[in-house]
Amino acid sequence: MAIGSRRSRAALCGAWLVCAGVAAILLSGCAGAPGSVPDTVSTAVKDSSSAVATARLALGLDADGKLTMAATATTLDDSLKELETARTTLLQLSPTVQNDRDLRREALAVLDEGTSGLTTARDAVASTDGSPTLQDGDRLLEAAAGRMSAFTAQLGGQ
Amino acid sequence: MKRLLGVALGVLTAIGGFVDIGDLVTNAVVGSRFGLSLVWVVATGVVGICVFANMSGRVAAASGRATFEVIRERLGPRAGLANLAASFLINLMTVTAELGGIALALQLASSVQYLLWVPVAVVAVWLVIWRVRFSIMENVTGLLGLTLIVFAVALFLLKPDWGSLGAQVLAPSIPEQETAASYWYYAVALFGAAMTPYEVFFFSSGAVEEGWSIKDLAQSRINVLVGFPLGGLLSVSIAACAAVVLLPAGIAVTSLSQVILPVAEAAGKVGLAFVLVGIVAATFGAALETTLSSGYTLAQFFGWSWGKFRRPAQAARFHLSMIICLLIGGAVLATGVDPVLVTEYSVVFSAIALPLTYLPILIVANDPQYMGEHVNGRPVNMVAMIYLVIILAASLAAIPLMIVTGAGS
Amino acid sequence: MKTARQPKYLRTPGRTLDAQLHLLDRQVLDVDGVPVTTVDDIEISAPPPETPIPAGTPAPTLTALLTGPVLGTRIFGGRPPSSRLIRIPWRDVADVGVVIRLGVRGEPLDADWVERWIRDKIIARIPGGRHDPR
Repeated sequence: MAIGSRRSRAALCGAWLVCAGVAAILLSGCAGAPGSVPDTVSTAVKDSSSAVATARLALGLDADGKLTMAATATTLDDSLKELETARTTLLQLSPTVQNDRDLRREALAVLDEGTSGLTTARDAVASTDGSPTLQDGDRLLEAAAGRMSAFTAQLGGQ
Repeated sequence: MKRLLGVALGVLTAIGGFVDIGDLVTNAVVGSRFGLSLVWVVATGVVGICVFANMSGRVAAASGRATFEVIRERLGPRAGLANLAASFLINLMTVTAELGGIALALQLASSVQYLLWVPVAVVAVWLVIWRVRFSIMENVTGLLGLTLIVFAVALFLLKPDWGSLGAQVLAPSIPEQETAASYWYYAVALFGAAMTPYEVFFFSSGAVEEGWSIKDLAQSRINVLVGFPLGGLLSVSIAACAAVVLLPAGIAVTSLSQVILPVAEAAGKVGLAFVLVGIVAATFGAALETTLSSGYTLAQFFGWSWGKFRRPAQAARFHLSMIICLLIGGAVLATGVDPVLVTEYSVVFSAIALPLTYLPILIVANDPQYMGEHVNGRPVNMVAMIYLVIILAASLAAIPLMIVTGAGS
Repeated sequence: MKTARQPKYLRTPGRTLDAQLHLLDRQVLDVDGVPVTTVDDIEISAPPPETPIPAGTPAPTLTALLTGPVLGTRIFGGRPPSSRLIRIPWRDVADVGVVIRLGVRGEPLDADWVERWIRDKIIARIPGGRHDPR
């Protein structure tokens, strides 16, 4: 069964490759992709503006009566989680240059605006006494989205 | 008339059963970030799975044996064990992802916390495997999964610019905010999502479960050749909905809640109800299939008694191994890991493991000792060889791409 | 299903079997067609290693099919002690083909003890464990 043993050797090699690959991925995942501070900040702000845009879309659909409260609440919770993850990434940075520190401080401020807009929106969806209103939430989110895109444009120019 | 109904049932079940959490998430992510420029990958994947599902069904019908039983006999215990280890681990990852998908969809429907749904999903999947007949299980989840057609309906209701959509499909290009590396990374992921390895094990073992013989092959061929491409179209409509609604809004999909927003925009609460039923049914059906695949691969390698057609007491190790798989999946989810992340990893790992799964089937399908006169014809072999090259390329490229792009971020 | 024509060496009287091709890694079914195990290794009666073999010693014979932990030792090397081997005696084998069929029921066999244990301790305790799905 020469063919079989040749094939089985090849397959065993393949299996070892897979294992080695898995180990490489796990290691690279733990280490985190090494990126400069501006890159990490830019990704974090991009993810956050995606989350804020999602929240605005969901609020709009909810106002039009196209989403159930359960779906809207879940969507807003997911967006909030996304912002939290971005925030944690920023907090884990250790910038060495003053420029980078300013960048991180600004990014955190922009993210915080998004977070407060999201929590207002979440309260609005869950509220029983009519305040805050959905419009309050959307207004804050719109402002946050504006700041985020301005920040991204500024980063892109740098 | 009865035959026609039988054929229709088979096709509809194949369509509804095609989409799983991997397809849902990957297609939505790709649509929201790359538009429709990766649809050609879905088409390639669908053709591939048609070829190999057909082959594995023919192997089971002609030889009466399921795929994994033959892998060990034909390739020896070392290769078989390597194959088993890789397939089993990736299967386990997929089971975890599907269970997570069930829980996420139920959270969207009810606003009850997702973690509370995980044990419900685990127990429900187990109960169906324990008690429900194979054919009933397949038919019910398949037919309910058909409600995912709401994605195609929503696409029409959104009145998109068909011309520009068509241009994206036929003349794919990388959007400017994405890199070439991430484009190809998601091509590999989409390929792995379409050509799921567990499908082949499940298909051939299912053929043995339902007692197929050569005369049932014609029905299975129709199911595969009509059902799977239509299922592929369903996947594309998920991507298209994301491309039409989420891409212009600057939303990159990272959670299941974003996937359903386009349907809600197009069809309101009614559409939402349909899509949630469809997602629960599709992920539940896929959870059943992957859990059973785990059991099948272990039992067939070690020679245990297996099959849902047997009393659980007569297939004790088979059922125990599936219970353990479900418990492991539930435990992993209980740690709070993001199931969408697990899904994204599972499709890429599926792509990495594809050569291990498909090469043995090709070898067995060409072996006259098992197949008699039903060995592969020349045209099938040619297509299968081309696909083997594609599969190897995807598998080898996956890990470097994953490292370079940081898993697609 | 039309079976392939047998190669020449199999058409001689009696049957010539190749251990690797026809026995090892084959599925073992009992007399009712229920799977028992796969053949993980085979046991041959032979003089102990490193002893001189006197002329006229009968040829080694196949005594049993082995299963269980021998799979690990077959792949990775080594040998479990003789008393620990799980055997299916060769006399229980009724037919060797694409699968190996036994002439006895699988249940009382040694090879089935894990299945029996799990069945009695776990599966039978869960309600519906003995329910026939057909």
